Amino acid sequence: MGTTEAALRDLMVAGLGGDAGAHAALLRALVPLLRGFYRRRVRGGNDDIEDLVQETLIAVHTRRATWDADRPFTAWLFAIARYKMVDQFRRHARLSPIADADAIAAADDFEAEAIARLDIDTLLAGLSPKQARMIRATRLDGLSVADAAAAEGIGQSDVKISVHRGLKALVARVQGGTR
Amino acid sequence: MRTDDLIRQLAADTTPVQRGAVGRRLLAGLVAGGLLSAVLLVTALGIRPDLDRAMLGPVFWLKWGYTLSLAAAALAVTVQLARPDTVRTRGLWLLAIPVALLALAGVAELVRTPSTEWLSMWLGRSWKTCPWRVLALSAPIFAGLLWSFRRFAPTRLRAAGAAAGLSAGAFAATVYCLHCPEVSAIFVLTWYSLGILLAAGIGSLLGPRLLRW
Repeated sequence: MGTTEAALRDLMVAGLGGDAGAHAALLRALVPLLRGFYRRRVRGGNDDIEDLVQETLIAVHTRRATWDADRPFTAWLFAIARYKMVDQFRRHARLSPIADADAIAAADDFEAEAIARLDIDTLLAGLSPKQARMIRATRLDGLSVADAAAAEGIGQSDVKISVHRGLKALVARVQGGTR
Repeated sequence: MRTDDLIRQLAADTTPVQRGAVGRRLLAGLVAGGLLSAVLLVTALGIRPDLDRAMLGPVFWLKWGYTLSLAAAALAVTVQLARPDTVRTRGLWLLAIPVALLALAGVAELVRTPSTEWLSMWLGRSWKTCPWRVLALSAPIFAGLLWSFRRFAPTRLRAAGAAAGLSAGAFAATVYCLHCPEVSAIFVLTWYSLGILLAAGIGSLLGPRLLRW
């Protein structure tokens, strides 16, 4: 079972068409992705992580109509995952995020995040699509290199090289812009 | 519950979802709320008796053109905020078009009218009640949109609440046109818009509470 953007997207499209088997396969494929996503961000027991994963699966299921097929599936998925995480922090003081307090405040403020993303979008638009995707996955969506490699269906070193070259090109561009 | 069991349960309830389902659900909530709001208007305020004649003249259509196009632009923003991955709402500037056009009509009106009558034209006969009535009529529509949002995934709750409130207010103003006999563009520009803005403001306050999921 693949977990690349393309594979997940195909399953999602089939599920939206009413294919229950594809939909089940999609939800099963999301479980390891979501566990990894939350484990890196939430300080909590396995039960807490699993609660978040289940909450997210339910949201993915009940709100699947809000995915726009013209947009990346994983961006939609992680937007939901992030929302569920922030919501959970608000509800349960017991769960604490791993990142420092500033990062939570930033994640809490969706609008500030949106504005920052706007700048990032403009910057990343100048890179090759693969470099932009890999930077987005590892530096913005918080996937590990291994997860990003699995999602893209390429090797880990390939991911690292894409990120490295992409960042180098960005630095060059930013410095060029100020010169 | 084990995650595998949950997935089995969820998958058992896989119904087809058509493209554009979000827009249709939003429209359904809007229309259902709008009908309720129209019933409220007919029973509490009554339809203006000269509606058939008014619909033959330009003023009625100027008012409807303003409120309907504002509602359409607000809905276009709302539908974007119904999705979780909207980082940037597009088309906010469209909201300025109806306002600018009505303001132009208002200026033309002021030029044609002696300045001694400006104040009475601006205040009309119902400036004190108009914004509040628009706000009251927007409540059922806002409720209808809240129903729509129960299947949506907004992540910017304040903005989504404001956009839903703005849509509800503009559509409520459209309904209110069936009652309101005022004829001046600057009246509509001020007092209708005030009611619509109140609805948007209340929407932005309620959004973070009512749109959580």
